[in-house]
Amino acid sequence: MIEAHGITRTFAARRGMLGRGGVRALRGVDVTIPDRGAASFIGESGCGKTTLGRILCGLEDFDEGDLVIDGQSMTALKPKERAPHYRRIQLIHQDPYTALNPTRTISQILTDPLRLRAGQTGAGGTWVTERRAQLLELVGLDPDYVLPRYPHMLSGGMRQRVVIARALTVDPVALVADEAVSMIDVSLRLGILQLLRDLRTQLGVSVLFITHDVATARYVGHGGELYVLYRGTVVERGPTDALIASPVHPYTQSLLSAVPVLRGIESPARDRVVPKGPLDERAEVPGCLFEPRCPFAEPDCRNQPPPLVTLDSLGDAPGEAQAHACLHPARRSVVPVPAVRGTAPEDPERSVLPTQRPTEPGPSPT
Amino acid sequence: MTATTALTPEQLQRGLRRSRQRAARRWALLVNTPGRALSCLILAVFAALAIVGPYLYPANLPINPKNIYAPPSLAHLLGTDFEGADTLALIVTGARYVLFAAALAALITVVIGTAAGLAAGYYPGLAGSSIMRVTDFVLAIPGFPVLLVLATIWNFGSLWEMAVALGVFGWGGIARAVRAQTLSLRERGFVEAARGLGLPGGHIIRTEILPNVAPYIGMNLMLQLTGFIYIEVGLFFLGAVPYSTNNWGVMLNNAVFQANAVTSPRALAYLLSPLICILLITIALVTLANAVDEFFNPRLRRVR
Amino acid sequence: MTGEADLATADALDRTGSGAAVAVRVQDLTVTFPTPDGPLPAVAGVSLSLVPGGITGLVGESGSGKSTLALTLLNAVPFPGHVAAGAVSVDGIGDVLALRRAELRRVRGAKLGYVFQASQNSLNPLKQVGKQLLDLGRSHGVRDRRALLRRARQLMDEMGMDAARVLASYQHELSGGMRQRVGIVFALVLNAHVLILDEPTTALDMLSQAAVLDIIRKVHREHHLTTLIISHDVGVIGDLADRMAVMYAGRIVEEGPTAAVLANPMHPYTRGLLTAMPRISGDIGAARPLPGRPPDLASIPRAGCVFRPRCPLATDGCAAAEPPDTVLLDRRFACYVTAGELA
Repeated sequence: MIEAHGITRTFAARRGMLGRGGVRALRGVDVTIPDRGAASFIGESGCGKTTLGRILCGLEDFDEGDLVIDGQSMTALKPKERAPHYRRIQLIHQDPYTALNPTRTISQILTDPLRLRAGQTGAGGTWVTERRAQLLELVGLDPDYVLPRYPHMLSGGMRQRVVIARALTVDPVALVADEAVSMIDVSLRLGILQLLRDLRTQLGVSVLFITHDVATARYVGHGGELYVLYRGTVVERGPTDALIASPVHPYTQSLLSAVPVLRGIESPARDRVVPKGPLDERAEVPGCLFEPRCPFAEPDCRNQPPPLVTLDSLGDAPGEAQAHACLHPARRSVVPVPAVRGTAPEDPERSVLPTQRPTEPGPSPT
Repeated sequence: MTATTALTPEQLQRGLRRSRQRAARRWALLVNTPGRALSCLILAVFAALAIVGPYLYPANLPINPKNIYAPPSLAHLLGTDFEGADTLALIVTGARYVLFAAALAALITVVIGTAAGLAAGYYPGLAGSSIMRVTDFVLAIPGFPVLLVLATIWNFGSLWEMAVALGVFGWGGIARAVRAQTLSLRERGFVEAARGLGLPGGHIIRTEILPNVAPYIGMNLMLQLTGFIYIEVGLFFLGAVPYSTNNWGVMLNNAVFQANAVTSPRALAYLLSPLICILLITIALVTLANAVDEFFNPRLRRVR
Repeated sequence: MTGEADLATADALDRTGSGAAVAVRVQDLTVTFPTPDGPLPAVAGVSLSLVPGGITGLVGESGSGKSTLALTLLNAVPFPGHVAAGAVSVDGIGDVLALRRAELRRVRGAKLGYVFQASQNSLNPLKQVGKQLLDLGRSHGVRDRRALLRRARQLMDEMGMDAARVLASYQHELSGGMRQRVGIVFALVLNAHVLILDEPTTALDMLSQAAVLDIIRKVHREHHLTTLIISHDVGVIGDLADRMAVMYAGRIVEEGPTAAVLANPMHPYTRGLLTAMPRISGDIGAARPLPGRPPDLASIPRAGCVFRPRCPLATDGCAAAEPPDTVLLDRRFACYVTAGELA
């Protein structure tokens, strides 16, 4: 069980001091990931999701808040004592090539951490080779093929599997996959996503998936929770499928509206939400952070940042309740729907760029 | 779910054979153009001379006071020196000093410089800055003039002493460069992953960072060698360091200042022999430096 | 907003002044690269006609040859590759591959607009955008610089950019989405009627991607362009393109109207690709990964269908020779098995 409470992280600007000219990457983020759970983080670039992932792995410090791993608070420990705990949360990088040492074979890359582990547990000589083969088979690779090779001799998909195998050498409780498939060929992505999903059931490992591509988040995070981040705050969270089907916060709706519609097999959604204008990382506003770009903004949205509010739902366990941070939430259906054969429009002409008028839930002209 | 079941045993074998061929082709990079092949040959010849040269001739070369500064002839292919000793013999026996001293000096700079650079780069805090202060100090020292001055109190004419003198003042550049590389490698995915997996710092430096810095060092080494050859020949040429007749620098000194070879055709062969040797070695090293770079960096390779 | 004023400016720069949509035809193109095993084709016998006035999409993964094909349209094949056979004919220009240097320079930019990926820093980092624009004009012999700037500003306004600010900015001061838009401006400012976009939304996040796609649609419509979009992202092509072609290992394996190809794919690779795509809608359980991996130049099978190693329908008959194109109304595909089923 991994809990993050009120994590705040500010990066100092090159000139100027912390707090003035600094970029607030995370502002009081709360995350709960149960054992064997799945959590997906989506948002634009710069929303803080990568920083959050790195903080959870212990690769970045945080300024305020606390991180509790299996009941142990990280802030209560001295820096040197934290490492063994952070080791249980492993990061899978976006770029599988730079994640592997180009001058070493896969065999050497996997043997190093295994030997360390063997030293700690006092395991015998053959344990390392056996475990190595076991892990490779677990991630779907043939040990005879892969072990003698160098990283550049493998495809992107295979490299990423090696990275996952390496992460598993320390028996982690959670894997943080930061855009783990975005640099892999399209036909190979599903394999990696399925692998991550299977690791949850087979090894009981939690998976945190960070991405800007909602479709992949939907795939890996099935049965888990989806967090939508905007400028360092969680603006909406809830069960993955429920959230995608009927999001409530305008920012989530704009992200889901941005998913391309496949002609012939999908029909455009009923509603479409487009933010007014681009993201300004530096603008500090007194109220809701999304207000300057929100097409449904009301005057009271400027007064104060909306708190995260839970919608009435099935229960209180994480992943069952949908929560959002909007003063005027409205359910809109913004995700393309599968077309019924024969009725899909050949050319889903969608309106371009105008700001949307606020809509009531209900059919609206596109 | 397997990503690799599509391969048959034949494909496996073929794949492995191709990898081995690729490895062999890397070594072929050193000789794949006529220039490079020639450079390898030149260095091989001089290296051979350096090793066996002194054994081919007696310790004291026969002198002939009646035949000083003789022009090339069948008996003396490159003429004779100021004592009548055979120039060719001088060149062959003198190769050892020039090449060994330069090589040893380069070795010293690489060892010290790499160690300093790696440590400073991987532990950038207080340790790193202290090491860099020392490095900056060494870099700031003007090598050649300081060696000249040093020569007045310490005769480092012998091979080992020369190597140490050159090496101790020359490691700043490598340290700087290695540190820069280490700093950037430190943030790379596989190094971060190694840290996250709990691998100890020493191991990371040795196995993750050093092999990736090695290419740069390799190429730099070649260029450093040429630099050191110039410095030591220069020191002897200026007469700053004690005498030994078969030293190429000393030969140049004699040729220029005693035989006036620059202004008169006398003893031309005596002047040109060491010069041309130095030139050949330098060109060979520089040519191969490119090959070494391509060796480590596949993107630079061009299909010829 | 556009209309008369726009065409007047356009005519001032464009001497041919043609209003009809431009047709671009790639005929039997083969581009080879030297390898230790001899010259191998990155693009092999590709024929493709761009929809005049429409948006054509080209989908392919790494190693499919799509980027090489895109560059060949400009006769800009990167060394050491070279065109072994084929032609690229453009209305009003003839065969691009037959042009010599001076003519080619004139054509690139002025007739054929090319937009690079946002992640490739194709803008000069040391010069302001406005200055680079003027450089572009100068190298094409444009005398009326004011008209050039006016047209650029007009394009930027159409794309929702603050023209004054962008023209005065350096490349690093602009976001990925902005850089991509600037790329499109540069491609269109000399009034080219053919627009080629290479991976226009890779490296952009969802919102920037949607904005850029909207802009491409808009610009395409308002300037009556013939557009080619190349992407590995089926979603982008599926949303934007009127017709799409699927490329694999240097060959076009399927081509047709986008809706038809996506709803009813004929080639096993297209089918596999669509099934292997994580989608926002539909049954998650229905997705299946594609076995094997995309080939690189050296591992493309030399005989028979190039997709055979990964194809679930492969038969012995597929090993002998490459399948010919089967044409079905306005679609075509290259597969023995599917052709057999339909017969």
